[in-house]
Amino acid sequence: MADSIEAIQKSKKTYILVFLALLVGTVLTVLVAEAPTWATWLQWMDVGEHGFDKYDAILGLLIATTKATLVAYYFMHLNHEKKAVYWIFGSGIVFVLWMAFLLALAYRSPINDYLFYK
Amino acid sequence: MSANAASHDSSHDHHDDHGDHHHNPGFIQKYIFSTDHKTIGIQYGITAMLFLAFGFYLMMVMRWSIAYPHQPLPEWMSFLFTDTWKARWLLDGKVTGETYNMFGAMHGTIMVFLGIVPLGFGAFGNYVTPLQIGAVDMAFPKLNMLSYWIYFVGGVIMCASFFMESGAAKSGWTNYSPLAGFADGQIVNQWLAGQTQWLIGLVCLITSSLLGSVNFITTIINLRARGMTWMRLPFFVWAMLVTGFLLLLAFPPLEAAGIMQLMDRVAHSSFFMPSGLYTSAEGLADLSGGGSPLLFQHLFWFLGHPEVYVLLLPAIACVAEIIPVNTRKPLWGYKSMVYSVLILGFLSFIVWAHHMYMTGMGSAVSTFFQTTTVLISIPSVIIITAMLISLWGGSIRFTMPMLWACAFIPMFGIGGLTGLPLAFNLVGLHLHDTYYVIGHFHYVVAPGILFGLFAGVYHWYPKMTGRYMSNFLGHLHFWPSLVCMNIIFFPMLIQGMAGFHRRWYNGGDAYLAKAADSTDVFGNVVRDYIDLNIIMSMGAWALALAQIPFVINLFIAWKAGKKVESDNPWDATTLEWSTPTPPGHGNFTYDVAVYRGPYEYSRPDCDKDYFPQWEAPKKPVEEPADAPSVANTNDHH
Amino acid sequence: MEIPYIVTPRKDTGLINSKIAIWLFLASEVMLFGGFFSAYVYLRMGADYPWPERTLPVLPGLINTFVLIGSSVTVVFAWAALKMREWRKFQIYMGITVACAALFMVLKGVEYNVKFHHQAVRLDDYSVVEGHLGYELKEGADAHHPNADDYVKDHNGDKIEENMIRVKVEKLTFATKRYYAEWVDEMLSEADHANAKITLEADIEATTTEGGKMKVIAKKGEPLSLDLLKKLKDVQLAALKHNAALRTQNLREQWVVAKDANPGKQGWEISDDVSINMDDITPLMLSEVPSATFVVNPPTEFLFKPRDIREAEGSSRLRDDTVVVGELEESPMVFHNVDAVDFQWLVMKAEEKGISPEAAIENSWLMKNNAFVREIWAWHLKRNEAKQKDLNEQYGFKEDENGKPTETPDRVLTHKELYRIGWKEFRDYGEETKGVEVSAVAGLKEEFMGPNYKARGAETFPELSLPREEIRHAAKFSPAWNTYYAIYFTITGLHGLHVIGGALVLAYYLFFGRKMYLENPEWLANRVEVGGLFWHFVDLIWIFAFPILYLM
Repeated sequence: MADSIEAIQKSKKTYILVFLALLVGTVLTVLVAEAPTWATWLQWMDVGEHGFDKYDAILGLLIATTKATLVAYYFMHLNHEKKAVYWIFGSGIVFVLWMAFLLALAYRSPINDYLFYK
Repeated sequence: MSANAASHDSSHDHHDDHGDHHHNPGFIQKYIFSTDHKTIGIQYGITAMLFLAFGFYLMMVMRWSIAYPHQPLPEWMSFLFTDTWKARWLLDGKVTGETYNMFGAMHGTIMVFLGIVPLGFGAFGNYVTPLQIGAVDMAFPKLNMLSYWIYFVGGVIMCASFFMESGAAKSGWTNYSPLAGFADGQIVNQWLAGQTQWLIGLVCLITSSLLGSVNFITTIINLRARGMTWMRLPFFVWAMLVTGFLLLLAFPPLEAAGIMQLMDRVAHSSFFMPSGLYTSAEGLADLSGGGSPLLFQHLFWFLGHPEVYVLLLPAIACVAEIIPVNTRKPLWGYKSMVYSVLILGFLSFIVWAHHMYMTGMGSAVSTFFQTTTVLISIPSVIIITAMLISLWGGSIRFTMPMLWACAFIPMFGIGGLTGLPLAFNLVGLHLHDTYYVIGHFHYVVAPGILFGLFAGVYHWYPKMTGRYMSNFLGHLHFWPSLVCMNIIFFPMLIQGMAGFHRRWYNGGDAYLAKAADSTDVFGNVVRDYIDLNIIMSMGAWALALAQIPFVINLFIAWKAGKKVESDNPWDATTLEWSTPTPPGHGNFTYDVAVYRGPYEYSRPDCDKDYFPQWEAPKKPVEEPADAPSVANTNDHH
Repeated sequence: MEIPYIVTPRKDTGLINSKIAIWLFLASEVMLFGGFFSAYVYLRMGADYPWPERTLPVLPGLINTFVLIGSSVTVVFAWAALKMREWRKFQIYMGITVACAALFMVLKGVEYNVKFHHQAVRLDDYSVVEGHLGYELKEGADAHHPNADDYVKDHNGDKIEENMIRVKVEKLTFATKRYYAEWVDEMLSEADHANAKITLEADIEATTTEGGKMKVIAKKGEPLSLDLLKKLKDVQLAALKHNAALRTQNLREQWVVAKDANPGKQGWEISDDVSINMDDITPLMLSEVPSATFVVNPPTEFLFKPRDIREAEGSSRLRDDTVVVGELEESPMVFHNVDAVDFQWLVMKAEEKGISPEAAIENSWLMKNNAFVREIWAWHLKRNEAKQKDLNEQYGFKEDENGKPTETPDRVLTHKELYRIGWKEFRDYGEETKGVEVSAVAGLKEEFMGPNYKARGAETFPELSLPREEIRHAAKFSPAWNTYYAIYFTITGLHGLHVIGGALVLAYYLFFGRKMYLENPEWLANRVEVGGLFWHFVDLIWIFAFPILYLM
């Protein structure tokens, strides 16, 4: 916790920077998904035109994750937090990733391939 | 309490005005809307026991239907129903399939969500945890009260649906869609359908346990007394900590599933409804389709499996406290037990789909879950083994709690070991949805967990009331219970292997009638074991009778039991026994400090064979680094 | 008694109680929303219909993202202001935060409202029509610019949406046990409005006392009323109760006899021979009145919502088991403005069967029965051809193993581009071929609120009447339409509830925090920090919800 007055003063600047980064990130996300094909050198990534449907989806989610990390790290003070908090929040993140991963894995099976992709 | 408060008052100029009205609370504030963790614990206990009794009663009706499928319910069993209710739900006094389903669904729901979790986590957790860590109360007393009342409301909502036009939920305690999504579709106002009420009740219960678990974990992390380091925590507290985390993290996905099913019911969405659903009653369903029934099962069992440990850990916790006290020996392998329970908690999140081997979810996932399921037996076995070894070489006092605790170990052992075959999906082919599964998990829950909790009741009753429960009535309760439990559940394992399906409302009679026309081998096996139904049902009636001494004991001892001789009648070492009997508001009358581990029994250097945690050593020891110093335990605003 | 560590952190953990609690709560929330997002992944992977990709207008979502990010910054500044003991600044920042929350919810409300007034229909051949259902208009009114008194009103004085099942009701048979009172009231009022009478068809006779005589309990010609139904219900329930008790008692006796006669036999071995002796109890039984039939005179047109009635020629059934006898009238679903025609699903089904998409579309009901759809489809094909040409020029053709271009284009149009004619295509079609023009402001508003039917009129968004038997599934753009909208509404709705909850807490600190600030500013700062943590978390969810729900 940034407790001293000076520390808070200093972090105010950081907050503004993070805010700007978040705005830029949001615009970037929309551009990646929405903009017309403006760069053929990015075509392997399938930027624009068809929305998030290829690697650009991964790019979009990476940007979102970065934004979320910025919010958690600076706004939620995870940059200087106590150990217990990391354990608590970490456990939530770990299990949610596990759940999403295993749920997605549940589709990777011959039976489901037959049903849904045939 | 007063001494404690006084010491605070003298050292601080804080605003104690909101603390003041706790000093002379009125009746309602003291017993109904109390914020005292002990009162709330007792409230939880009484409510949960009432729900348990109700769930037991539902089971008796079901057992009648199984053993005597064509005979009307006897009068002594149907006195609870009004005549109108009987006309609606019984056919000439016989239990219909629909009613059986309703009772089955509600038996499971009530026992798990309204009975055992509140009894283990709500009652014992609430009463004992703050005492054992030397806290004045829970970290958030008002949240604690709220948690109880939300649980109460949720339970009432669920049970009230018995009296609605639709009746209560009928789709099993697992509430699988699309069955559950369609059930009660004829009801015009879906908010008043039993199936919807079940979901609303469930959301209440989840909210309640969320508040409870946040409160517990915060209390354990932040309100430990001076000197109560992590490795000095009694095992009970460790188990509660893990239980808290399980509730905290495993319940929300079920809440998500519950909300989605609620949407399916009232907003006609198709989260769990596949395309092209057709029922004889409704025709082609007027739904968009495209949903996934499997998704519900995944989300349900993501809770469902940790839930098993939410049920189990409080019982293990009680037994782990009772064994060292009565063997006068330290708990064997305290550290390995602690690590085991942590690993158990972690693993319990990644085994859920072993309930779903038969859903066609795919071999890769099946293999994964098979592996983790086998893994999870390791920490459980470590815990049970440690408790068993704790008995070795002890001079055991066979007090009432100890009897229950001793019975817990083999009963839970049977429950656990019968679970091992079920971990393998090949075996699941044969045993899935048979009575074997029923027998397995009832061995864990009924003679296992319930015995552990009974042990807890007999153990902490003197602290709660200042009186012992009667030993005579206790024996009258214990021995018949032990015998009857096995009469009920052991034949289930046999029947299950013979292929008895868990949802036969007539105990296999209809199946037999069908099988008589064919040369089906299966049907012949059913004929061989169908007689067991009657023995098991007899066992159930007898078990009901065996609980009567307990109820009498519980009430009589409150006023007329033998008084305890001291605040520490069992000569135990943990902090709850250093409080007045019963403890007042604020718990401790002295400045709590902890000087040693939780199970220092049979100490040769001690004149009374044990060192309580609160007893200062003769020569001063160093303050552990991770505990606050004396100066700031009293810190507040 | 005082709970320690409310304001000052405990030394060894370094934390106050509420901070631990909020992080625990957030971990739990992570699991909750994680459950929903996992459900999204699961549903999308398993979807057996064309998932509606990027179907929401991006602009409102984008603005809402900015709003929420902004409020996240101000809440952290509000906390910093409290830490520096600057009450005035705290008020300003917190005020902005709460205002942002309100703005967010207003925008969300607008977004929801548009969807709840937008209809979608899947026909039997899996073609999909989207648009705006109108309300029934009087003869000769202008469908696109109606006045307030152009509408036909029902018995309650409400406009009638053109999506009702009409039955010319002659008879109504109510199930006495479970008729739905509100519907009965509705019917009474509807009949009253049409000057029709609903009366009992025939005398109802019943024995209401044990061993009593049959007597008339309701006379022929008695008007329908809730009291009358209640009376019949009471008779029915009393009879059921009485008879069930008699039957149960008799069956118990029979079992005693049967068991005595068959010693050593189990119940299921002799159950076939045990039955109630009806001769014994018939004289004692009360008569049941399971239903009551009423005549509507003269036969009157009643309106039913599609979900409430299972219609059939001659005799339909309501969900409360009321049987409605009467002629089923034409009850088409009438779009006053169609704004999208979507053949993606039809094509998916055609491809599954090995039929060429073009043939399947040509054979669809819409193409055969609607000239406008044929015209716009032809226009759409031409436009797609041009688009594909553009793609070929931009990306060229796929290369073979020698690096030479083949005949296959490197980029092809997606299914959505090929087979869906969305409202923007309708717009362009109107502008290109019919010269429809709207102002720039109206055009921008459309990006937010969807198509502007009033300004563009029937040339762009024509009328379409769908016969009931062609409709497979119909819904507003609500959770009922498909699993995408279901998960969209569930995640954003729940997120919205979190926004409201968080804003209420923050507003409480803003408006009622002064007293606590004066007494113990550090305590208030702690509380604001905890409230802020929740607020950031709400923002965090939205950061994921926006790309996943709006852009994917």
